[in-house]
Amino acid sequence: MMRGIGVLLNKDMLEITRTWRLWVLPAIMVFVGLSSPVLAKITPALISSITTDQPGLVIEIPDPVTIDAYLQFTKNATQLVLIAVIISVAGMIASEKRAGTAAIVLTKPVSRSAMVVAKVVSNWALLLGSTLLGAALCIGMTILLFDAEHVREFAVSVLLWFLLAAMYVACMAFFSVLIGSQGGAAGAGIGLYLVLAILSAWGPGRDYTPAGLLSAGDRMMLGESVEVLWPVLTALGVVILAIVAAAALFERQEL
Amino acid sequence: MSSAIKVSALTKVFGSTRALDGVDLEVDEGSVFGFLGPNGAGKTTTLRILTGLAHPTSGSARVFHSDVVHQSMRVRAQVGFLPDVPGYYGWMTAEEFLRFTGRLFGLSGSTLDDRIASLLDLAGLSGVKQRVGGYSRGMKQRLGIAQALVNTPRLLMLDEPTSALDPMGRKDVLEMIAALRGRTTVFFSTHILSDVERVCDTVAILDKGRVVRQASMKDLKHDGAARRLIIEVASHAEELLARLAAESWVIECKRDGRTIRCTIEDLDAARLAIPSAVSTLGAPLIRMEEEEPTLEDVFVELVGGGR
Repeated sequence: MMRGIGVLLNKDMLEITRTWRLWVLPAIMVFVGLSSPVLAKITPALISSITTDQPGLVIEIPDPVTIDAYLQFTKNATQLVLIAVIISVAGMIASEKRAGTAAIVLTKPVSRSAMVVAKVVSNWALLLGSTLLGAALCIGMTILLFDAEHVREFAVSVLLWFLLAAMYVACMAFFSVLIGSQGGAAGAGIGLYLVLAILSAWGPGRDYTPAGLLSAGDRMMLGESVEVLWPVLTALGVVILAIVAAAALFERQEL
Repeated sequence: MSSAIKVSALTKVFGSTRALDGVDLEVDEGSVFGFLGPNGAGKTTTLRILTGLAHPTSGSARVFHSDVVHQSMRVRAQVGFLPDVPGYYGWMTAEEFLRFTGRLFGLSGSTLDDRIASLLDLAGLSGVKQRVGGYSRGMKQRLGIAQALVNTPRLLMLDEPTSALDPMGRKDVLEMIAALRGRTTVFFSTHILSDVERVCDTVAILDKGRVVRQASMKDLKHDGAARRLIIEVASHAEELLARLAAESWVIECKRDGRTIRCTIEDLDAARLAIPSAVSTLGAPLIRMEEEEPTLEDVFVELVGGGR
């Protein structure tokens, strides 16, 4: 069923270290990790400097606190980083088909399911490493600029974000197999992102679908009581479904 | 002799196009088999089905008695394949690529190390540290054959291995194929007739999705095409030409000075009638000899009529 998975996974991990992919997502995460606390710290001062130039305009901005830094991180991660993840992994299968490498590899005694799973797992590994790096830098910078409070809540929030991003990776595997072009798959992924964003604004959608993961971390950090069981379970369900569907579809496709 | 490949009534339909229309084919184990046909004849489609990359619409295809659809993994474990446009991971070196493909066959340790060393040597890529992304077309093609041999396959399938190469690249690849004779069965598709003449012992000609002829090279040239006779006389060549052109067993006759070239439908009748005609005219006969048809003659006769 998964013949060749170890060799393919090893190759995919090596590919990450040898190509542009090693730098893009980690670099974005480093930027978000370092800039989020700084942005949270200087935003009030920035806004004040603007309002002083306009007589009569008074905006009261509270002093920034620790939680603002972490909220800024999750906001950036949910918007900028998720879109970057979608675009960067969109060609995971499509590019192998287009480049002809799939035809070389899959004429060896290797299952197509193994190729799909290896792609997803290697991208998860890159995503996990990038997330840990970005989150660690964010915590360090926040402690430097603010204090060491709310680290635990932030860690839970990052974990929920990672699950959401991992779900997108699995969905992108399916789109990459289904559509067969990086651009098309990326478009479908962004479409899915918009659908979840809309669902997250609707109560039942937020409570019972993976869309709840978009805001669950923020709400937790703000002290709200948040039930994440259904969003987590449905996200895990989507992961399994997307991988199984991608593998089944790929097995039937002609190369 | 047992079959390496046996294809029966293989059909492949893409929309309204029948890419393969009941292909029957048998490749003996140990042969160097040329799968010849014009562009679009269905060669690549056949190879894609044999290697599990595509599925037949109907019919059956077996490699070493294993069905290519239902026992694809077993088939793939025994074959090596080079696609028409091989794709590589440009960030790998040749050695890394061979190591990767070898591991896909479950090879490891000193067996794999030794195999890689000998294949790099065979492909002329020993000591090349450059990444594959920077290789020339010829280097890529030689690496392609090397990776197809990494599992010491019982059957090596090559799709148009020389079509995009310069003369030196073609020579290198054909020499690699020729060197495999007796060690493995080679099945390669091409539209380049001279490549087939140079290395193949058996040929199948595919046209419009059908095998129009399968035979050994020798039989193909002997039986497949109309024969040509060259007659040279010291005089009366014009009269002899007019006389021969009127015969029912002559397809075509042309004169070039004292030499007449005739394409003959019935060789036995020609052998009897021509000396008699020469004698009747009183023309001194200098030579009368049979000209062996080239593969090109056979090919044009079999597939050229409708074009």
